[in-house]
Amino acid sequence: MSEPTPNAEKAVGAGETWIGRVKATARDLFSTRLDKSGGRIRMIALAMIAAYAGIAVKLVALGLSHDPPQTLKVAADQAVSGARPDLLDRNGEILATDVKTMSVFAEPRRIIDKDEAVELITAVLPDVDAKELRERLGSKKGFVWVKRQVTEKEQEEIFHLGLPGVGFLPENKRVYPNGPLGAHVIGFVDKDNIGIAGMEKYLDQQSLTDPHVAGFTVDPDALKPVRLSLDLKATHALRDELAAGIERYRAKAAAGAIIDVDTGEIVALESLPDFDPNDPGDVKDPQKINRVNVGVYEMGSTFKALSVAMALESGKVNLNSRIDARDSLRYGRFTIHDFHATHRVLTVPEVFTHSSNIGAARMALMVGVEGHQAFLKKMGQLDRLRTELPESAEPLVPKHWSELNTVTIAFGQGLNVAPIQALMAVAALVNGGNLMTPTFLPRSEAEAAAVSHRVVSEQTSESMRYLMRANATHGSATLANIPGYYVGGKTGTADKIVHGHYSPDKVFTTFMAITPADKPKYLYLVMYDEPQGLPEDGGYHTAAHNAGRVAGRLIERVEPLEGTPPASQFPDQPFPLLARLGYGFDADKVGKE
Amino acid sequence: MWRILHVVAIGALIASAAYVYSVKYQTIYASEQIVKTRHLIAKERDAINLLRAEYAHLIRPDRLQALADAQLDMQPLALNQIVKADDLPERPAKVDSIGRKLESLGLLGQSATPNAGLTGATPAAR
Repeated sequence: MSEPTPNAEKAVGAGETWIGRVKATARDLFSTRLDKSGGRIRMIALAMIAAYAGIAVKLVALGLSHDPPQTLKVAADQAVSGARPDLLDRNGEILATDVKTMSVFAEPRRIIDKDEAVELITAVLPDVDAKELRERLGSKKGFVWVKRQVTEKEQEEIFHLGLPGVGFLPENKRVYPNGPLGAHVIGFVDKDNIGIAGMEKYLDQQSLTDPHVAGFTVDPDALKPVRLSLDLKATHALRDELAAGIERYRAKAAAGAIIDVDTGEIVALESLPDFDPNDPGDVKDPQKINRVNVGVYEMGSTFKALSVAMALESGKVNLNSRIDARDSLRYGRFTIHDFHATHRVLTVPEVFTHSSNIGAARMALMVGVEGHQAFLKKMGQLDRLRTELPESAEPLVPKHWSELNTVTIAFGQGLNVAPIQALMAVAALVNGGNLMTPTFLPRSEAEAAAVSHRVVSEQTSESMRYLMRANATHGSATLANIPGYYVGGKTGTADKIVHGHYSPDKVFTTFMAITPADKPKYLYLVMYDEPQGLPEDGGYHTAAHNAGRVAGRLIERVEPLEGTPPASQFPDQPFPLLARLGYGFDADKVGKE
Repeated sequence: MWRILHVVAIGALIASAAYVYSVKYQTIYASEQIVKTRHLIAKERDAINLLRAEYAHLIRPDRLQALADAQLDMQPLALNQIVKADDLPERPAKVDSIGRKLESLGLLGQSATPNAGLTGATPAAR
């Protein structure tokens, strides 16, 4: 940097040279001679480079470090469970809300005698594990929880211990005032207020909540309550009736749903046994799953509605067509029987009202395997149906779809679907032919029209309504025919597979009902798993006697709740399209002869 | 002359300093009050939220149903109890059934109550 001065050159001793050099450098540094300025500039540049390099190194180190030094406030902000928006039902009743509770935390570094602290705290909070707490306090962290969500009394007692390094933080605790009502839809949250099931999880996925990911706490006032499509009162009626049915028919499980067919909104959904989201307990228990969304079942005869609609839509049959059901249908080594065997040629409405397996199978065969597959695909029965709920299930579709598969699937065996899929399909069949994904959020009819698409014609849809009405007046659904409501319905009883064989003793029964059948508003689904026959029902455990009866009770309770009084007289012209086509009969009379 | 001006200037300086001081402290006081009120509001809001949750818990349908079943001597609503206002029958002509009964018993003419016909058994309504 500096040029050696002449007297430094002459020096002999190493020490003298060194001192001389320093002196020379200093002299150069402060001399104002122009020819020495180059050295000064170089030195300043070097110093600057060193300073900036230092800053850069520190920045990289900070960026790479996984555990940045935490202040108490930062640690607390990250640990405290964030606020969540309230969940309301469609009428504004509270389904889930946050309340403030106090939680006890500790700063291990500031606790002087850790063993004493553990002893005192566990004396006040007996449910805190002493050994585990000692371990936590022994850690190097700046912040640990002692116990989340303590009561006011516990808080006071901890406060009076006067321990240094132990404090309180207000936290949000999620509460579900209605307990298990609608639990499968609402879902629940973990200790940190993060949704782990149901709509609670959906909200987090929509990043409406979950402040910890974003790194800042959401202002609780800024959270708008989220309205669901559920109706709390209808949900209660559904749960109450399902539970009464479980007891009465000694069934293993039950499930049900009510859907608005015009908008696809789920108004009520219950699956029993269920859980209390305030204390979800063992959520992995397979008995407590949401059977409507996650269970897949052979839907039995309710699937005949799809088969008949398919045959009508294909134009191969009309309501006056006759189907031969005189003999059992032989197929290879299989023989298809009718449960209520008639041994005669049936009309299409009779196939439906007598729930004829042979008739449904013959109709599906008319359409053929490919047409059958294409129709079920169009109706969304072969693909996983995803709603807002994170829980969904893949239908069990046969790998090699032969004619035999078409025969059995025509009457609802051999294809396992989630009940919500079947619900969606039947809703489309009766609402005028528009298929839409069911939703758990409010949806107007205009929005529904935008997301739906036509799957069957208006006329086929009207025919299905007509058939369901006929079934309620003199078919298998008479027990659900509540006077005052123009009810239509379809039963389904599927034998369960036990050890690889269909067992006639263990059945899975389903019932779908619409009201009013001329212009349905709601579609009701009721399912029972292994209901037992009652002596007063002649020991029958078929769907009509359990699921059907419960569906009737449900209509009786829910319709007035939803503001529909019983009609004093039924519509004169419920099925105008069919009447114009010459099917002049009234659904209430057909097939009585 | 200059002296007076100086005195006035110094006086004005002191006065403005005092004013600024007081304004500053008023501001600090006001902002403290705001913070306190905000805390109060937040506290009240939390309390309201808690009460709402409690209320929702108390009026949950299954509890109301259990209470109604246990405490009320009433039956569940039957569908035939629901009618439209138009379907209600006409109000029947008002019948003085007590008077009719008295007449049939032949008691209407002569009242057993003393002075009943003269002053009225009960004081006249005003």
